[in-house]
Amino acid sequence: MKPVDLARKLRREAVFEPAALERGKAVLMAAIRQEVESRSAPTIIPQVPYLDIRAALAFLERAFGFREIPSARFVSADGELLHATVEFRGGLVGVGGQGHHGAISPRSGGVESQFISVQVDDIDAHYQRAVAAGARIADELRDHSWGERTYWALDLEGHRWRFGQRSTPRMAAAK
Amino acid sequence: MSPPSDAEVISRSLDEPEAFGLIYDRHAATLLRFLGRRAGAKVAEGLVGELFRIAFERRKTFDASRTTALPWLYGIGSNLLAKHRRGEARWLRASARMAAASEAADRRAGAAALDARLLFPRVADAIEALADDEREALLLFAWEELSYQSVADALEVPIGTVRSRLNRARARLRELLEAKGKNRVKSR
Repeated sequence: MKPVDLARKLRREAVFEPAALERGKAVLMAAIRQEVESRSAPTIIPQVPYLDIRAALAFLERAFGFREIPSARFVSADGELLHATVEFRGGLVGVGGQGHHGAISPRSGGVESQFISVQVDDIDAHYQRAVAAGARIADELRDHSWGERTYWALDLEGHRWRFGQRSTPRMAAAK
Repeated sequence: MSPPSDAEVISRSLDEPEAFGLIYDRHAATLLRFLGRRAGAKVAEGLVGELFRIAFERRKTFDASRTTALPWLYGIGSNLLAKHRRGEARWLRASARMAAASEAADRRAGAAALDARLLFPRVADAIEALADDEREALLLFAWEELSYQSVADALEVPIGTVRSRLNRARARLRELLEAKGKNRVKSR
């Protein structure tokens, strides 16, 4: 018998679990999703300074429903958390230390120089969640004539956040 | 209208990554069986998703002048298998024992059964003893029934190199089979 024919005799089919192909496809689709997401990533990312990054992260997750991206964490060699990134409905916010790159927390600076505006999809529920988590409400939940429902909150260190949800504009309806 | 070729699908997936899912739907079963023949179900099931993930990430480098992506996917699979040489060798030896047993049962004749029991493990050893690039060319040709050109595309070498690797593999197999033991195998 020829060597190639002999080799052919050892060809043996494996028996697969029925779900094997679906599991493989899930691996591919996860990679595809990751690329799609990275393409639609925001080009402008606010960087917010805190005295206590860990406490800030816990609060932002609990009160505002932001989600930390674990792979984006920066930790120093001795274990100090230097920077983290949180995600919310496709938007990103960097959570960093006080004094880095000249940015300071309102807690030590005594004043906020800007605020961050966030669009949510159920502002009443969002408001309840923030209040329950101990956020200080700077401006109560209310409707505006241009077609938006908003409230303002301060986080643990006094950064100002504006939350809004679009509604039917009353002025447009009047016209 | 005929369905788009693999090359067209891959080129579309550069802008619309989701399109690459179609490459999986077309070829995953073939590649899963390929990986299974080479290293068994467990390894194959673990590798098939990885294979297509790598293909997806390298899709920019796919040569669009080729209509089918199959040889390219085989090539990625071959590279992945290189990390599972031990599992592959185990599977091959087991396959040899099973081939010997079924051959023996087929023939019933005492002498042939004895032959098969000695012969097939020897073939497995001989395949194992080949240089990696020769074994790869041999198995893609003999088991996957790829053409010389497809083997060349898969391994990214000129077709002449495939010919010489296969010739070397044939010669080495003959040599190894003849050198071993008293039951010589005649090559016709």
